[in-house]
Amino acid sequence: MKKTDVYIIVPAFNEEPVIGDTLKELLLLDYSIVVIDDASTDNTGNIVKKLPVAYVRHKVNLGQGAAIQTGISYALQKGADYFVTFDADGQHSPSDIAVLLQKLKNDSLDFIFGSRFAADTKTEIRGSRKIVLQIARYLNFLLTGILLSDAHNGLRAFSKKAAESIHISENRMAHATEFLLLVKKNKLKYAEVPVQIRYTDYSKKKGQKNFHSFKVLQDILLHKIFR
Amino acid sequence: MINIIQVILSFGILLVGVYSYRRLRSSYLDAILIFGFVLIGLLFVFFPELSNKVAHFVGVSRGADMIFYISIVFFAFIVMKLYAKIRRLEATITDLVRKESINDASDNVSEKK
Repeated sequence: MKKTDVYIIVPAFNEEPVIGDTLKELLLLDYSIVVIDDASTDNTGNIVKKLPVAYVRHKVNLGQGAAIQTGISYALQKGADYFVTFDADGQHSPSDIAVLLQKLKNDSLDFIFGSRFAADTKTEIRGSRKIVLQIARYLNFLLTGILLSDAHNGLRAFSKKAAESIHISENRMAHATEFLLLVKKNKLKYAEVPVQIRYTDYSKKKGQKNFHSFKVLQDILLHKIFR
Repeated sequence: MINIIQVILSFGILLVGVYSYRRLRSSYLDAILIFGFVLIGLLFVFFPELSNKVAHFVGVSRGADMIFYISIVFFAFIVMKLYAKIRRLEATITDLVRKESINDASDNVSEKK
């Protein structure tokens, strides 16, 4: 495997304070990187354009799900063999990527979900968030038939086969569940790999509020009804 | 004796009828359907006992209640149709923005490495 055939897909919306550091850390790994700027109104675009990465910009804000799908479409067009989604806010640890990719290849799987709750992770997580994620896990199970140990983790790796058979149509945050649905529907072979989440003050502030999960649930239910 | 509400309702029904007819002039079937709805609406407005009779026939005690029940189902259906349309519209916009963004992508990997 050539390292440049691995595409790291980084959706970004107004991440000016951290995007530079996140990308510099990723660049050390020599993978190809594509940043999808979801119509940021801050300086995100200018910071990204100075770095040796591909830069794709949505003219209007569509949501993280849409940004990830744009990244997948772009990487497919560039002939990528492996795809990794990576949040722009610096909460993932770049060293986990190699672990995910190795599992993907060695076990010839199609899809790897990063999990902060799988065995031997050291992620510190506050109580209320833990409960919300637990509920989300079981809701995902009810809706998709797949029970993961973590419900919404931005770090994933998948094969070309998966990228070709998946099309994310949920533009906002319900895409995490849609990934599960599509894995199930296309009978893709999947596994979970423990990853670390670094909860910084920035990622906590920028991240999802617990209350927001109701909106996500609403999107998921509507998705079930209308498609 | 004509009540004020009958004037308001018949005016409203005629307005909606004329408006829909102007929008959907495309086929005779539409015209017949619209004409039929307007006619039934006006009949119920000017002969309320008629709606009572129909209501009794289907097992509802009052005509006004029957029309209320039917409207709820009808509007729920309309909301669903509109929502499905909005989702399709959103998918189209997403598609458009995505294609354009990929066409305009800047890739300075080769230049700077």
